[in-house]
Amino acid sequence: MKYEYAKAPCPSELSVTEGLGEAEKDHLTLAKDVPCQEACPAKTDVPAYIQALAQGDPERAYRINLEDNVFPGVLGRVCTRPCEDACRHNWTNIQGPVHICHLKRAGADHSPTPQALPAWYGPTGKKIAVIGGGPAGLTAARELSRYGHQISLFEREDHLGGMMVDGIPRFRLPLDKVEREIQLISGKLDVKLGANVDQARLQNLLETYDAVLLATGTMKSKDLGLPAGSGLWNGLDFMKAYNSGDITSLSGDVVVIGGGFTAVDCARACARAAQRLIGSGNRVTLAYRRTEQAMAADLEEREEILLEKIDIRTLATPVKILTDDKNQVTGIVFQRNLIQEDPAGGKPGIAPLPGSEFTLPCRYLIVAIGQDSDTAFLPVGVQPDRQTTQPKLFCAGDFLTGSSDVIHAVAEGKAVADAMDQFLMGQVRKRYHVAVSLIRNRVQTGRTRDHDLQRPPAMPLATLSERVQEGTEVEKGHTGQDILAHATRCYLCNHKFEIDQDKCIHCDWCIEAAPRACIKRVSRIFRDDQGVPTGYTEAVSAKETTFIFIDSNECIRCGKCLRACPTGAISMKKMTRTPCLTSGGTL
Amino acid sequence: MQRKLTMELRSEDEEIKDAGLTIDLDEIARRGAMSKSEKTIAKWYGIYGSRQPGNHMARIVTPGGVMTSAQARNIARVSEKYGQGFISVTTRQALQFHWLKLGSLADMIRGLSQEGTTTKHGCGDVTRQIAACPLAETCPYRRLNVRPWAQKLQKFLGDAEDLDNLPRKFKITLSGCSAGCAQPYINCLGLIAVQKEQGGKTVRGFKAIVGGGMGWDPYVGQELFSFFPENKVLAVARAVALTFRDYGDRFNRATSRLKVVVAREGLEQVRMWVLEHLDAEGVDVSDLETGPVEDTGPAVPDRPLAELTENSGSDGKALVRIIVPGGELNHHQLRRIAELSEMYADQKVYTNNRQNLELHGIEPDKVSVVKAAVQETGLSTEGAYTISDIVPCVGTTYCPKAVSETRALYKLLLPVVSLPQFAQIRDKVLINITGCPNSCSPYRITDIGFRGMRLRNETQGSEEGYEMLIGGDQKAFGQILGQFKKDDCPAVVETVLEAFVRWRHENETLTQTVVRVGLAAFQQEVFQK
Repeated sequence: MKYEYAKAPCPSELSVTEGLGEAEKDHLTLAKDVPCQEACPAKTDVPAYIQALAQGDPERAYRINLEDNVFPGVLGRVCTRPCEDACRHNWTNIQGPVHICHLKRAGADHSPTPQALPAWYGPTGKKIAVIGGGPAGLTAARELSRYGHQISLFEREDHLGGMMVDGIPRFRLPLDKVEREIQLISGKLDVKLGANVDQARLQNLLETYDAVLLATGTMKSKDLGLPAGSGLWNGLDFMKAYNSGDITSLSGDVVVIGGGFTAVDCARACARAAQRLIGSGNRVTLAYRRTEQAMAADLEEREEILLEKIDIRTLATPVKILTDDKNQVTGIVFQRNLIQEDPAGGKPGIAPLPGSEFTLPCRYLIVAIGQDSDTAFLPVGVQPDRQTTQPKLFCAGDFLTGSSDVIHAVAEGKAVADAMDQFLMGQVRKRYHVAVSLIRNRVQTGRTRDHDLQRPPAMPLATLSERVQEGTEVEKGHTGQDILAHATRCYLCNHKFEIDQDKCIHCDWCIEAAPRACIKRVSRIFRDDQGVPTGYTEAVSAKETTFIFIDSNECIRCGKCLRACPTGAISMKKMTRTPCLTSGGTL
Repeated sequence: MQRKLTMELRSEDEEIKDAGLTIDLDEIARRGAMSKSEKTIAKWYGIYGSRQPGNHMARIVTPGGVMTSAQARNIARVSEKYGQGFISVTTRQALQFHWLKLGSLADMIRGLSQEGTTTKHGCGDVTRQIAACPLAETCPYRRLNVRPWAQKLQKFLGDAEDLDNLPRKFKITLSGCSAGCAQPYINCLGLIAVQKEQGGKTVRGFKAIVGGGMGWDPYVGQELFSFFPENKVLAVARAVALTFRDYGDRFNRATSRLKVVVAREGLEQVRMWVLEHLDAEGVDVSDLETGPVEDTGPAVPDRPLAELTENSGSDGKALVRIIVPGGELNHHQLRRIAELSEMYADQKVYTNNRQNLELHGIEPDKVSVVKAAVQETGLSTEGAYTISDIVPCVGTTYCPKAVSETRALYKLLLPVVSLPQFAQIRDKVLINITGCPNSCSPYRITDIGFRGMRLRNETQGSEEGYEMLIGGDQKAFGQILGQFKKDDCPAVVETVLEAFVRWRHENETLTQTVVRVGLAAFQQEVFQK
């Protein structure tokens, strides 16, 4: 036909305009566009819950979190925040990432009466034993229960929660916050407390249940390998005793060895028990053989450590524990060491400096240098694996991966639940797709450029004299306008702005309206095999311009281009990672 | 400094406007630069940026589309001094300078004021240039002379300080009869003169049309009042402006025009608001009618201006229309036209919405002298309101918004439309070309309309092109024939005109033929043959 011109193709980055995107490129686009969600081990829909907070709906924010990461009130306090490292504000703003974790907590703090999530499927008649009531076990139990299976949860302690209750001090994570979220899960389970599972009992469970999950975590503390005396704890035991109220005061100096989460928590707990916070003479020292940057504490927590008058000695390796004639610890001898970069890029090595020994006198010594999983009760010949060589036996969480954190445990619990359901039912009954909704009728995201440039309000903290009171939470949580300030900073990356090139007339009005250099005139767009753009060449003239292209990495989702477009070529779509039940269940 | 945390939906322009609507152009000249907010407010002074770096555009308001010969001479002088001697005529009957330097803006405005003209409210969120029938005084079909009302309205609304910050621009036009030569259906407020019999007497007044508009989201105006007496025109126009001020969208400037208010809220709601405003200002609204009104004036043809040639004015005098090619003339030409108006016409220079100039009140025996004198300046006096009277906007020549060089297409089309086989349809086809969706040359309401765009190439880059519409009218917009590369447009026009010549009945215009035979027939003709 005459006047039918061939035009350079420019497909959408999503496979559908509206509805369920089931193509690989939909997932790739979501992963590229929403880096926080991609970085979250549990794939939390971060922009969706932050938008709910910005719209003044903390309960909706909480529900989104509850669905995705199971323990929002817990993770809103103690998460290691891989999402914040991935936040796009890190690339394009000097005010730091959106405080995603604190916002999660804001949603939890302002949701007074959370409801348990409904089941996806009716009863299947399958019975599952979950061993270990920590975050991984509880998560797996919740998900398996929602799949319709009957769950028996075996916990060695007299309470559920695992490390969330025993391993994290109350001043970081109050007990009621954990218990509230455990109760949302445990109500639907057959919970057996004080149930120690050994090799024989495991064998018995394997015979009576359709499947068994091992999620017992890492309960075996590593030790220094040095002869010790009384007054020495391992970190986990100390934290457990502190959390259960067995340790309320310490008289004498304390040295904590280690740089991980437990070491830092122990040091901060000791600072309280030793009344260090309000200036008693008892010194608390955190000794670590690497540098402060390598510690598990983030910058904020390192500030708290200093505020709480804890001394930090880095680059020091313990070589000898000193004891008196009653075998009571009196001090510890360290040797200085240096860090040796590994030319191959591996974990840097430790290089001791002979002759650099020094002694720190102390009455208490806490060793928190890591934990291992106890695999002694596995059947003979079986190694830990997602699904072991004994097909009914599954493993998850720290027990499988080694010592990690709550968010990874949650992700583990969800993954193993899906694997177990597939094993039991012989099919995949839940898949994730990208739900794409086209936003019509001039609905706005509500974002403006000014929201990007706000200074994020600081987290209100308890004063030192408040912190001395047992159980006082250090971080008080954001309220009111501060929540709004943090929430409105989020770029809402789950909104995809795209130009339909067949409608675009190259008027450049969107470029003129754009709040920053987010829309480009390009001559070429480079794509990967799936059609997802990986780069472009900017055009310098109208003649060279093939496409007008919205760079999602720069887009602040303000919608100005959408409003300026004269031909309706620009669309705003919302992408949501959505579970789809394949076998007649209800979401 | 903490940024504001408001979730309130207001555009940045609103923040700038709130900070004040005045700027100091002399200070700007000394400083040598305009800030972003000053550029916004400069529009209230009739000043825009230009596509040509370092240059500015200024729009001179000529209320009702008329200036005195002294004003015309002065405009020519100011143009020569500050604007490289070029003057553009717009489709809303205003004039523009396009080559102004930042340092001369203040002097340019002072220069214009010597003869009482101004660029004030040439742009900005205010009542803009008020347009009117070019033949307001002498058209045989006129119900009343709308020109004085256009001039009074311009002053009345322009002076009102409570109307200097509207959500966006507000456009008014006045037509002397229902033919609507002043395009009342595509303006925010179109006023159409009506005469009716009441108690044995002929009463004159207006019909009010609101909510029309072009741009990328076009609307046909709707009838707000079917009749109100002539002397209430100021009050009604003010009440409509106040309604727009109060209910227009101040967040999204793309949807802030009155047309969107009418489309979203409905005519009834808008009428209620207007009546409320009238009532609040103590205006008796009992004689504002909304029911059918029988107009008792003489029957009007479809396109009176195409029929009213030089000697058909009701005053026994003649007129000469001056074709301004591409809507741009130079200061010599304008000065000479002003001189001719003093020597042979009514000492006034008129503008019309084909971007042309007119001289009225010429003794019939002097017409040939005037025409010869005009032609000596290089301008034509023949072909107004015909197929060769093509109206391009300024396009990429000056306008930063434009996508296409409309004047280039204008030049490409001239040879085609001048072909002898099309002589028979000369006055049955009008062509408008606009460089972007803003429709400064309203391309949807003419027989053939072009809107600029770029068409991307098969591998890389793009080419200038146009979306072509046919069959438009101010009450029923043209339909999209297709999108064509610029160089293909003349052939397409030729095909369309050939089909029109073959298919037309009697005196049909192209639009009438398109409506009768349908768009598909023309598309078949263009794409298949």
